[in-house]
Formats: sequence, C-alpha cells, structure tokens
Amino acid sequence: MPSATSDLDRVTAVVLQFMRGPVLVLLFVYAIGITGMALMPGQEVDGNPSRMNLFHAFYFFTYSATTTGFGEIPHEFSDQQRLWATVCLYMGVVAWLYAISSIIRLALHPELLRAIARRRFARSVNSISEPFFVLCGFGDTGSLLARGLSDQMIRAAILDTDTERIKALRLRTYRVKMPGLCADAGIPRHLLDAGVQHPQCRAVVVLTGSDEVNLKIAVMTRFLNPRLQIICRDTDADHRELLATVGEVTLISPFEIFAQQLSAAIYTPLLRAWEDWLVGDRSVDLEQPLRPPRGNWVLCGYGRMGQALHEVLATHGIAFSIIDTAEHLQGGEGRRIRGRVDRNSLSDADLTAAVGLVAGTSNDEENLRILLSARAVNPDAFLLVRQNRHENELAFNAANAHLIMQPSLVLARHILLFLLMPSLGSLLRYLHTDGIGQVKDLARRSRERLPEGSPFLWSEHLADLSCALPGCRNEAQGLVLGDLLRNPADRESSLDALALVVTRDEREWMLPGPRFKVQNGDVILFCGSRRARELIRATVNNPYTLHYLVTDEEAPRSWFFQWLSARLRPSPT
Amino acid sequence: MNLERVVFGFFIILALALNLGFVAGDMDNSTHHNPWLLFAALMVGLITSGLKLGDRSQIGALVLAASLVANLLLMIAVSVWAISEGGMEQTTTPGLMVTIVSLGYGALVANIVSVSVLVSDTLMSRR
Repeated sequence: MPSATSDLDRVTAVVLQFMRGPVLVLLFVYAIGITGMALMPGQEVDGNPSRMNLFHAFYFFTYSATTTGFGEIPHEFSDQQRLWATVCLYMGVVAWLYAISSIIRLALHPELLRAIARRRFARSVNSISEPFFVLCGFGDTGSLLARGLSDQMIRAAILDTDTERIKALRLRTYRVKMPGLCADAGIPRHLLDAGVQHPQCRAVVVLTGSDEVNLKIAVMTRFLNPRLQIICRDTDADHRELLATVGEVTLISPFEIFAQQLSAAIYTPLLRAWEDWLVGDRSVDLEQPLRPPRGNWVLCGYGRMGQALHEVLATHGIAFSIIDTAEHLQGGEGRRIRGRVDRNSLSDADLTAAVGLVAGTSNDEENLRILLSARAVNPDAFLLVRQNRHENELAFNAANAHLIMQPSLVLARHILLFLLMPSLGSLLRYLHTDGIGQVKDLARRSRERLPEGSPFLWSEHLADLSCALPGCRNEAQGLVLGDLLRNPADRESSLDALALVVTRDEREWMLPGPRFKVQNGDVILFCGSRRARELIRATVNNPYTLHYLVTDEEAPRSWFFQWLSARLRPSPT
Repeated sequence: MNLERVVFGFFIILALALNLGFVAGDMDNSTHHNPWLLFAALMVGLITSGLKLGDRSQIGALVLAASLVANLLLMIAVSVWAISEGGMEQTTTPGLMVTIVSLGYGALVANIVSVSVLVSDTLMSRR
C-alpha cells in the first residue's frame, strides 16, 4: 500500500531528524567518560596502581550517568578516579537530560502525531471485514447518520477537517467502532486511507459544508473507484451540473424532500403520517394525522427551502405570498414583498387571510422571531418553521410550531433509508402513485399490529429455506409468507410484523399478502417489533420450526423416528 | 404431545437416574457401587445417543455431544473395572474404586447437561 510506506518514511524522517543530535552527544560523552575512567590510576594493589578495564568503565559510566549510582565497585576509588567520576556524572546527566527532552519534543511533534493518527486510522479501516460506508463531513447530518448506522450495527469511516468534531466522535458511544480522522477529504491520500478502494466499501457520503470541497471529493472518489456509489448533499445549479459530469452521483436535497413531504402532508396526510411512523416518530397519530391546511400561504425567506417549497406546492395550485430581503425577488407570479419580516410586511402579505406561514430563512433566531410576529398577526395560522442547527432544539420545541423542519434530520433519515433499504424507497414511490388506495388499509394494519409505535425495520434474506423433510409441502406447493409470520409459540396467531416488500432478482413485489409464495434467495423487508424479528430469524434458520409452522406437525427429527413414523403411517405416495 | 419427545425424554432421564444411582455412596467403598447399575447406565446411554442421530437442529447436536461424552466416560469406567484384578467383583481395592466412581461422576455431569438442555428447549418452544 503506497500511502502506508510514505507514512512510515515520514515517521522515520522525523524521528531521525530529532534524535540525531542527542544520539551524537550521548556517544561523544560516553566515549570521553569511558576512556578517561579506564586511564585514571586506581588504588594500589601489590605496589602497582590498578586500572579499570573498559567493560568496568562502561558499567560504571552507565549507572552513574543515569544517576542510578551503585557506589564504587569493583574496588574503592582512588582520588584521581573520584575526580574523573565527578566529571563523568555531570557530563552524563546533562547529556541524558538533553536526550530525554528531545524524545519528549518528538512525541509531541504535530507532524508525527498526524502521521501516527493517519496510520492508525488506515489500519483500522483496512481491518473492516463487513460492508461499511465512508462519511466525509461530521456536522449535524453526519453525526445523525453515524448514529443511525450504529443502531443498525454498520460501521463508517469518518473524515472531517475539524479537530473538535473528530475528538467529539471519539467520545460518542456507538455500538460499533467508527474510525475517524481529522483530514481534508478532498485529498486522494486521505480518501484511500478511509477505504474508498476497500472491497467492502459500499458508498461515499459527501456532506461537508462547502460545495467546492464536495465536488472535489466526488471527482477524486470517482477516479479512485469508478464503481463506487457517491451520495452528495445537493447544492446550487452550477455545482449540480458539474457533479452530473462526474457520473452516478446521487444528489439529495433536504429541501426538495421536505417540500414533497409537505405537499404529501397536505394532500395525502395519512401516507405522510405513516412514513413518519415508520421511521420511529412517536408523536405521529395514525388515526388523526396532522393536516396542514389548503389555501394561501405566506413564505418568509426565499432561499433554497423557499424556492423548493414554492416549486413543488405551486404545481399543486397552492398560492404563496413571499417575503424576502433578497434582490432576485422581483418578477414571477404571486405577491412578492421585499424587506424584513415584521408585522407590517406580514399584514402586507395578507397573513390574516392566509392559512399558514413558513418561517424558512437560514437563520434560527430570525425564524423564531418570525413565529412571534406571525402569532400576533394571525393566531390561527398553521406555522411551519425551519430549524437550521441541532443545538437550538429546546428553543424550537418550546416555540410550539405545528411543524418543525430540520434539514439535517431530513437529510440524514433520507440517506439512511437510501443506503440501507433501497426497496423502501420503491415502496414509498409506489404508495404515492399506484398504491395510494392501499394506504388506509396499511395504516390500519400498522396500528393494530404495532400499537406502541417505533417499529423496527429490517431485511430478511432467505438464504437457505431447507425444509427438505418428509411430508413438508414446501417443495410441491411453495412456502407462503403467511407461514413465515406465524407465531412459533401459537401457530394460529400472527407475529407483530408486516411484510412490506419482497425483492427477487431485481424484481420487487409491494405489500405482499399472506398467500404470497416465497422462494430461496428472496429478500423481504419487514417492519415490526424486535421480538418478531428474532422469531422470524429463528424460524427461517430452523427447518423443524418452519415445518411445524407450515404443516402443524412436529417432524420426526432423528433417523430412528423418521423410520418409525414411516412404518406407522405409510406415506400417501 | 409428541412421541419422539416422550421416548427420548424417557431414555435420557433414565440414563441420568441410573448414573446417579451408581455413583451414590462412599467413593472408595466397592460395596456401595453396583456393577449392574453401571452397565445399565451405559446401555441406556448408548440407546439415547442412537435415538438422537440424524437431528439437524443445534439443540439436537448439543444433546448428542453431551450423551456421547457420558457414554465415553462410562465405557472407560467399565473397561477399567473389567480388566482390574478380580474382574467386576464387589471386592475391588479402594484406589481403583475411586477412579471408577470419578469417571461415573464425569458421566453424571454430561448427563445433567443434556437433560437441562432438553428441558430448557422444551420450555422455550412453549407449545
């Protein structure tokens, strides 16, 4: 791996550069000290002065220079030796202090720390053996996405340029390890470290705050790995065109999604409520879904959100009065007022006659202030507010708007569903178009099966439906979905789960009924309780339970009883 | 009620009961340990293993493994007793008797494991 070697080279270079001086000084001091000690005349033995040999001199110098000090061995020193020993001690201690301070400076060297962090990150990504994602940008959306992935026990390699965010990542309690690196994701080396060429890497999600950086990451990733899926936060028209040239980049715009959701809430409130219920929103009431009123709306802020709302809702014939400070507001249909949002401009925009108001600027304080003014002008209006920053959550909850739109949350949920359950997207598209008639029934069944809400979504891959036991009708008549959903403890009752989509070799069946015949290799998207998931998983992996659910009979398990039951009851063939 | 569960449960619990009957008493006193009980425990254990052959479930595999362990230990105990001086007489030396009964205790543990696995499996399935 080229990046690892160059990394190692850099570490070696830094270490050598820092340690060259201290090592030379230590060698020099040791050489002088040992030579001098060996030359100094010691105590007289048999009339001749004894001298230390070189090994004893080295030994003495070693323990005195490091201030261990074992005393005067092997013999008591002479005065000359003591004099030289004093010199040695000072020289040695100073040299060692110098060396130690160099080591400490080396350990704190930012270049070295960065190289070590990169190496650790690359190694940790390299060792991932299950499918994972690369996440560039760890802001509000990124952290929500990481939380969602961790709940599904899926790992992500995270890149962000902000040191604080990466530090915060280390402190999070994820259910799986999420390696993170503080680095510019636009640099190919870092993308390689994050595993874009890893065989298990499934997609790169690009969520940095800058459009330029997003574009750069998308281009680099496309070159590094042409088959990889790239998902990018949507940007302005220019960048959208540039990204289109990269090829196969999925752009996701929170505002467009939200505009579609709002129009769905106005025209098909039950379906909208069911979608929210499905992703675990506990405030949803499936019997009495929230219904934003039809009529004239006032739109405060004509940025990306305002434009997206205007575009989608205008096609449904909803009229808008628009208030914004921007220059480009002139022209276009509808009443347009340039200026700040206050009581006067709200009255000009005819809020008293309007059914609802959207506070959709990119500034949270401004949005909250618009809410207050709007309440004063028309207390009955339906209030929809955009919350830009996750940290302002408490203020927005207290503001008591009818609907809060958090772009980061909308984006994170959408990307999560897109990554993990592509078949759910098909189901929602189906329900919005051809399947609109089935929504009522689906909502009723969801309410009955899972009255406490917060369903668990999972895909079950029927890898091996081995039901090849004598008397099992799987082979002849086919296993139906209703059998899989039977409760193993009580065959006549059904588990708290709904089958949403069956996928078989590129084909998809929406909302299959209990008579639907399943086959080996099918992938079924279920929603239901966690217990139901465990039981269904146990059922499809246990041929005996499956046999019991299908036939209402316990299959003989051992050879002896298979033989015996064949003898006792001759087979119908 | 399922015939297989009744028959298999009968044999596996009988094996446990016979095994306990054999090891009960002072370890080194050969008059407390009846060779016929040991032989019966081994035979019932072998039948139990035979009945479990062919089960493809995880629980079945575990029960089979445990009963094979019990059979192995009981077979060693029988062999040790048979080749000792005097054969399977009641007057075996205390040292040898301790070895035989120790093996019997090992088999008892394996039998307890298979019975508890069987009981918990039955309770878990709740039908």
